[in-house]
Amino acid sequence: MKKRSKWQTIGTVLGETNINEFFFSLKNYQAKKGDIVATETNVPDGNGKIISVTVWGKIMSIDCSNEWFPRQAAQELANEDIDIRDTILPTTRDELICKVSILGYTKNNEDKLKLLPLVYPVKPAASVDYPNSNDVEKLLISDLNSKHPIYIGSLLARESVEIKIDADNLVSRHVLITGMSGSGKTVMVRRIISELMQKMFPMLIYDIHGDYLGFVQKNKQMFPNNKVKLFYPNLSIKSEDKEIIYTLIEKLGKPLTEPQNDYLNSLINKVKYEESSLIKYINKLITQSKDYIKDRNSKTKGASSGMGHIKAATMFVVNRSLGQVVKKLVSMEQTNFRHRKKMANLKFEQLPDAGTEPEKIISKGQLSILYLKGYETLPASAIVSILSESLFKHRQEVEEEIPPFLTIIEEAHNFIPSRTENKDNLPSVETIRKLITEGRKFGTGLMIVSQRPARLDETIVSQCNSHISFRIKNQKDQKFVRDTSETFDAEDTKQLPALANGQGVISGQVVNFSLPVQIKFDEQLLNTDIGNENFISTVEKWDDKETVKLRKKFAKDFSSISESNQRRPH
Amino acid sequence: MNNNLFLNYINSAINGSKVVQANFLNVLDKVSKTVIKICNHENLIINLDYTPSTSWPTYKNKTVAFVDGGLDKTPMPSSAPLTIRAGSYIVNKAANEQLFKVNNSKIVDLFDPDNELYDFIDDDSFEDMMLNKKKDAARIICEAATLVNHIQSGKKYDFCFLHGPIQAILTPFTQQGFPPFTQLATEDFIPFINGKKDKERKKRRMTPEDRHFIKVYLECIKFIKKSPFPIYGVVETAVSAAYTKNLLYNFKNKGHISSKDYKETIDTINKYRITDSNLFEIILKRNQALKPIEIQKQFYGNKLIQRSMWDEVIEQYPKIFMGYVKATDNQSPIRIETLNYPKNLIKDFGYILCVSRLLPNYGYLAGLAVVDRFVKISNFMSKASRNYRSTHLLKQAINNKDQNTVSLALKILSKKNRAWINRPTKRRK
Ligand SMILES: Nc1ncnc2c1ncn2[C@@H]1O[C@H](COP(=O)(O)OP(=O)(O)OP(=O)(O)O)[C@@H](O)[C@H]1O
Ligand SMILES: [Mg+2]
Repeated sequence: MKKRSKWQTIGTVLGETNINEFFFSLKNYQAKKGDIVATETNVPDGNGKIISVTVWGKIMSIDCSNEWFPRQAAQELANEDIDIRDTILPTTRDELICKVSILGYTKNNEDKLKLLPLVYPVKPAASVDYPNSNDVEKLLISDLNSKHPIYIGSLLARESVEIKIDADNLVSRHVLITGMSGSGKTVMVRRIISELMQKMFPMLIYDIHGDYLGFVQKNKQMFPNNKVKLFYPNLSIKSEDKEIIYTLIEKLGKPLTEPQNDYLNSLINKVKYEESSLIKYINKLITQSKDYIKDRNSKTKGASSGMGHIKAATMFVVNRSLGQVVKKLVSMEQTNFRHRKKMANLKFEQLPDAGTEPEKIISKGQLSILYLKGYETLPASAIVSILSESLFKHRQEVEEEIPPFLTIIEEAHNFIPSRTENKDNLPSVETIRKLITEGRKFGTGLMIVSQRPARLDETIVSQCNSHISFRIKNQKDQKFVRDTSETFDAEDTKQLPALANGQGVISGQVVNFSLPVQIKFDEQLLNTDIGNENFISTVEKWDDKETVKLRKKFAKDFSSISESNQRRPH
Repeated sequence: MNNNLFLNYINSAINGSKVVQANFLNVLDKVSKTVIKICNHENLIINLDYTPSTSWPTYKNKTVAFVDGGLDKTPMPSSAPLTIRAGSYIVNKAANEQLFKVNNSKIVDLFDPDNELYDFIDDDSFEDMMLNKKKDAARIICEAATLVNHIQSGKKYDFCFLHGPIQAILTPFTQQGFPPFTQLATEDFIPFINGKKDKERKKRRMTPEDRHFIKVYLECIKFIKKSPFPIYGVVETAVSAAYTKNLLYNFKNKGHISSKDYKETIDTINKYRITDSNLFEIILKRNQALKPIEIQKQFYGNKLIQRSMWDEVIEQYPKIFMGYVKATDNQSPIRIETLNYPKNLIKDFGYILCVSRLLPNYGYLAGLAVVDRFVKISNFMSKASRNYRSTHLLKQAINNKDQNTVSLALKILSKKNRAWINRPTKRRK
């Protein structure tokens, strides 16, 4: 029990105390904001005895004041160029007053540090101690009763205190990770993935930027027991998902009038969908439509195709629209392809059919990355929706073909925007809602990552039981974090705008209580192929293509020609 | 028009007759023109240099003590717990010294017959009436005792400044029935009275008369007058016209003005409530000062202000020297009092000017503002600053190692605002 006697005393409890917080005066900068400190009090033990217990708290704020420094003086010092160190003005009366929010108490005679809610205020004028790191670590993890703690970093205020979060809650109860661009979200996700890979937990990442390709590169070296698969999307849609085809055509193409829509409908009904590629299918629609147009313009006036009642103009518009959709899809595929080609030493595979071969995507010890770079929101959403829906079905079935798995959605505002964003009918919204509400039952956990939490679907966000927030400057998003997460300590959310890269506040079911943390940065996991965009060195290495070179070479000659051409004769 | 002047104007407008109202500025103008002539004739106005960026480095190694007292003014029914403190801010930047110190602290309940400060006088009717006077006397004596402490400490101060007059007006305490201090308190205030601290020393039991404020304070003042370093009392706004009246009185005595003119001018000053502040505000410019003149504080002209059974003792009080320094344009000049004529007037006043200019809007010694904040007890109980204050209370209590103070401090620290109405646990028997 005499743990406390070994701890260093760092201050004295001040003023009135209650069961929620206390103030203490801090000696010589011996603790920081966010630090865990301890003091003592007496509580009745339930058997009529009074026992002395250790009270734990977190430093929420530190005020430093030089109360005796008159403000006006500053003005004169500046105006007259006076050095304060020459004057009689006090400079050493800085007083550090810490506000501590009480976490609970632990009994002194138990080795396990089980936190109980405090029912009696702390002792005024008691000493405040700085517990050693081991004891703090014990406290942080004790209440979680975590069978699978995973290491993510250290207490922000105290590097020697390791922070572990509960993996079981993480993979089933959903996590929301927010923070502005560059604040450290992806670094954190990679940290978690690394840990879960050690536990052979299957994961699927929707990777828009290629932030996770480092896992492919370092697969053998760092995760020899795991399989890391890299997929590119295949726009293949099953016939039962025909709705999606319709949405895609509707959203990617031109807006259609009612008769045009009717025509499109009858086209889709007529042309049998073969489960190969969406592009092929649309091309088939176009061919079919062209036939109809021909027939419409022939002598039969469309009688042979049964399309006589439709105006030729309507058919044309639909045809053009379909043409546009194909063009867009092809261009997206090509963009994605170009990006893949840049990383020649990475092996990309076409995404297998999740309906028939889900084990190729989700399997024990495997990390699957679906590389979505180049795809616009709508097709990307369709891809996510189709894949996740199909995997979810496999989890729902009685004979489970795939194990529980975790899905990681980066840039989630693209896939699950809030209703207020007016991006209605993104197919992924419905799917993710289903996954997240049933996730606990079927082991389809989600990790949702976004820069703009305020723009996410409210239903989905409300299902995330843990929340990690990195730096947030945007007022709306700050408010969002304060409002949606009752587990966040109000004082903790105040520091959101001031956090540095990799510093975040973590709260919810994966931890005992809201904690400011410094996430460990696994630099080896950065994708060294593209790394962070470095346009400067791209330009440094730049060499024009041959055609460009030639164009440049002749440009001068041509311009002099056109100049003389324009010159008016005198 | 400046604040104080304006206030005074308003005051006379509200309180005075129609004629008085109409004439205030007019009269002030006339009186000031006369006083300025006298000042010039007597060569009283001095110009001070203000070159802070070069002066401060030379002041850096001075050891200076700023002293102030504070009272707890929290009204509490049925009980009169009173905290009286006098504290110091002692600074010498070159020696890296910035010390905040409570020199004298008394926590007493004036309604407690066993209180440690005053003899209890069993007359209820007096108690209420005299409560404020008792508080004042206690504060004054604590401040004086602090100056005594500093002299006794043997520390080589360059200056010591007291927030308030160097010698208080005594009349309020001459009233019949004003209680004497207790033996314990008296020994605390004037420890030198029994000679060197010596175990063999025979404790002299002092008579109630010896323990009366008028006597105890006199002992302090006499001791302070012998100080090896200059001690100045500083008053922010003078509400009297002591300087002006004494100036005129001296002038009359020298025969420069007639008794009739003297009397009429004094009457005018009284009637219009013209103060030194009003006058010197007009007369002095920024960075100017008035040389100190000798003043018998307890006298008015050549008569005691008010006759009482203490006349003989009061006559033993030394004269003081009173001067003025005007540090800023926006504020009245500050009154500087000493018991001895300054040996280095220009230098000392120059220093006062520099320290005062650190409060450019206020024109008052910044060091006194610092110690004032440190020692003020009225604020001490206010919610906002209580946490800060309480640290100090506790630290002080622990430093003093006085069990009484420690236990009271703990009580205060741990209880709600009003709940600490607890008497010190240890009682004098
Ligand atoms: N825990 C950390 N320790 C040290 N540096 C970090 C940490 N986290 C992030 N950084 C630095 O910040 C950079 C950006 O981090 P990261 O890629 O995680 O940002 P992000 O929040 O995912 O941003 P975006 O929303 O733009 O994707 C990292 O490359 C790294 O240099
Ligand atoms: Mg990122």
